[in-house]
Amino acid sequence: MTKRTGFWTLLAVLLPFLILVLSLAIGSYRIPPKELVHTVAGLISPSRHPDLAPAFKDILLHIRLPRLLLALMIGASLSLSGASLQALFKNPLVNEYILGISSGAGFGAALSLVLAGRGFPPQVAAFGFALLAVAAVLAIAGRSESSVVPILLTGVVVAAFFQALLALVVYFASPYALQTLFFWLMGNLALATWRDVVLAGPVMLAGSACLFLLRWRLNVLSMSETEARSLGVHVRREKILVILAATLASAAATSVAGIIGWVGLIGPHLVRMAVGADNRKVIPLAASCGACFLLLADDAARMIMSFEIPVGIFTSILGIPVFVYLLAKTKKVWL
Amino acid sequence: MSIRVRRLAFDYKDFGLRVAAIGFETSRLTAVVGPNGAGKTTFLKCLGSLLPIPAGAVLIDDRDLVRFKSRERARRIAFVPQEHGSIFNYAVLDFVLLGRAAHLGVLATPSAEDERAARTALDYVGLRAFAARPISQLSSGERRLALIARSLAQETDILLMDEPTTFLDMRHEVEILDLIHKLSREAGKTIVCTLHSLDLALKYADAMVFMKDGAVLAAGPPGTVLSEALLETVYGIPIRIRTVDGRIVLLR
Amino acid sequence: MNEIRRKAAGSAVWLAALLLVPPTAAPAGQGSRTVIDSLGRTVAVPARAERILSLQPELSRILVALGAGERLVGVDYFLRRFDHVIPLVFPKAFELPLVSRVGEDVNLELVLKLNPDIIFVSPSEAWLADSLQRKVPAPVAAFSSLGRFESLFQEMDLIGNLIGRRDRAAELVHFARAELRAIGNRLVGLDPGGRPRVYLAFYSSLLRTNTSYEPVTASGGLNVAGTILPFALGTKEAAVNIEQILSWDPDLILIQGNFLPAERAVTVESVLGDIRLRSLRAARDRRVAYTFGFWYWWDPAQVLLETRYLARLFYPRLFADFDFEAEGNRLYRAFYGADGVFSSISKTLKCEEWILD
Repeated sequence: MTKRTGFWTLLAVLLPFLILVLSLAIGSYRIPPKELVHTVAGLISPSRHPDLAPAFKDILLHIRLPRLLLALMIGASLSLSGASLQALFKNPLVNEYILGISSGAGFGAALSLVLAGRGFPPQVAAFGFALLAVAAVLAIAGRSESSVVPILLTGVVVAAFFQALLALVVYFASPYALQTLFFWLMGNLALATWRDVVLAGPVMLAGSACLFLLRWRLNVLSMSETEARSLGVHVRREKILVILAATLASAAATSVAGIIGWVGLIGPHLVRMAVGADNRKVIPLAASCGACFLLLADDAARMIMSFEIPVGIFTSILGIPVFVYLLAKTKKVWL
Repeated sequence: MSIRVRRLAFDYKDFGLRVAAIGFETSRLTAVVGPNGAGKTTFLKCLGSLLPIPAGAVLIDDRDLVRFKSRERARRIAFVPQEHGSIFNYAVLDFVLLGRAAHLGVLATPSAEDERAARTALDYVGLRAFAARPISQLSSGERRLALIARSLAQETDILLMDEPTTFLDMRHEVEILDLIHKLSREAGKTIVCTLHSLDLALKYADAMVFMKDGAVLAAGPPGTVLSEALLETVYGIPIRIRTVDGRIVLLR
Repeated sequence: MNEIRRKAAGSAVWLAALLLVPPTAAPAGQGSRTVIDSLGRTVAVPARAERILSLQPELSRILVALGAGERLVGVDYFLRRFDHVIPLVFPKAFELPLVSRVGEDVNLELVLKLNPDIIFVSPSEAWLADSLQRKVPAPVAAFSSLGRFESLFQEMDLIGNLIGRRDRAAELVHFARAELRAIGNRLVGLDPGGRPRVYLAFYSSLLRTNTSYEPVTASGGLNVAGTILPFALGTKEAAVNIEQILSWDPDLILIQGNFLPAERAVTVESVLGDIRLRSLRAARDRRVAYTFGFWYWWDPAQVLLETRYLARLFYPRLFADFDFEAEGNRLYRAFYGADGVFSSISKTLKCEEWILD
């Protein structure tokens, strides 16, 4: 690696964390900058700063930090998922929800709220059923050696199936029990707690790490089936591996924050436009780009109003113009 | 090193490929020829186990090809398709690097050694200057060379090539076939390629396999395989075989 | 006394007519009036209705309170499964056919078969009223109080007129106004700056609130969320940032408790135990309580009870004589004519745990 790529790599890794630290300053509760720095220092070394305003400490440590960490991880996971699936399905318009995880997660959460009530976090069932949806897709269409089209079509069908099941649950359940569901489904980070970080973080990390390791393999898998096979790849097995890793990452993200659109599409596209299609570069940069993107979108959501507006709205508001501008500027699409 | 085919059968919709027994000469160029729809490409793909084949149908060094693991097979046989099927615009070097997949584990990324192998392959086909260029910017002839370079990076002893000369002008046709011939002579590779041009096959091939309707009609050195009667039966038009300047030409 | 009552009734009707009929509207047809419903639609309401299909629990409850429950020809899903008061005061409702389901999905064939004189729907699905109107001959009107007392009273007048029980309706409206006045009177002279600042955690989420909720204001409280949005007509739902709640630092947090404890996603315990809220005064002083709250439809008896209950919460000394169960029973009896109704509801909602001090 040249010194130049080394620099860019370092930037890509550090930038999301830099944005995270700066984002700690944003929020409805006004914390004066001096106090902010003081509180952060106090959190790092409590012995040296014993008298911290408890409100500030709680806000930074229990409200903003978990939310920002989640935004970083979710942005990275969704973007990684999207990028990998785009390579695998040889289609740059594929997003991470295409195999039905959003419908599976929605149904799982609804079922959990109805059967287990408020005591049990619906995220667990959401995650479980998201995996189940993808497992169903793989079971039905994964045998196909020759094409990925059956998988895409089956994804659509399975998604529709879980949508129908969700409608059924909504039909029979108490409307009060399901109120939380609709808030969550809209996709936002407002309810982020440390528990979410601890539960979903490792899973997102596992899926993302696996995708990172597979980054070069994705180049090979993005060839036609015949070519990939002739290059020595066990297409079916590796296809399933990629799908599983992408699903782990994005299902964990969805179960915690609901459905946040555009991150899995815009991140990878921006990166490909900038550095080309080699997934050795696209994969890690997409993670970084997705993390920065979601952090910034969430910052915008928190800065503009004291209401909670679903962050998905901001990902669209921010992402689409950027995308259009870049498109016009480079005069080429994703290639 | 030997390639033998025994009782190969492959069915696809209403087309059936049946090859009873055939062998390929090591370090030589064999051309598979015949009219459209003869099953040439299908046969080639079967040779590379890219289509499901029956056990024992293709034997490499007397070992059943079906029993080879994917990686092992890719280290023995490389397949060069007519066009590459990817919408992503990789740089030529990265594209050629894909040929190293057979030498890498699933979670591995190419090392400096792999990159060297890719560059060597690029040099061999004369594309060194194109290494950083995106592949969509190459002409079809250059793209064809890149595909060949990729298969060279695989470092196999067998190369299967599907119609390496389609869509190329006469000069590039000759250049590609010169390269392929060089590969079989200098690099010692066993090459089987499908060709729709009998004239080119006659010039370059050490052996010919003549196919029609999924069956092998004749196989062997070009001189013995061709006869005017055979050609007329197969193509339905009178074709005369003549020798001009020491070379066999076909008049139609 | 009677004359005053008649005069009051007369002026109530007059007032209702003024409010409901637009100045330029022409009467439509024999014996029918034109009203403007909650969606702003102009509806030709018959002078009298014998067969009423109410898919709006608020209006169904008013009908029953006016003693005209028998005129109901069908019920909606919510009334059938989740209503707390109807099973106690008008159990015959459960023999009525189920006409609509969740999402306001209406059984059209059944509607046509039942042939009502008028149909009431909820304005929560804006397209439903028009869509239904296109397919059935009876007038379809979408009404809801949307959390405003005046709207509730107007509805009571409307229905009173519809079924020929104007007097009874006027009586109830008068009674309700008197109740509210009584509470207001005790609050006279209090420093407006000293009103307790209240945050409402409704809709099963800590972050979802109402920007205006009249029972809170009528009982002398101040809804902190009222400052972030301009006052909109009726109750406006909004989702706020948790930091905003910390910024406000309300004196009291009210949690919607109008449904079964097991279904409450937000509870007093969960708020008190939430680490993010521990710097709130309300959390430290344990000033977190339940209230009935507004989902989509009110119960007139319950909303008056709620106003009294909130007054007791906000001003414990001023309303020290508040007996939750007795007041509840009294109000429910005034509207529905049955005893012990609130005792029953109180058991379901565990209201005995609600009062803080």
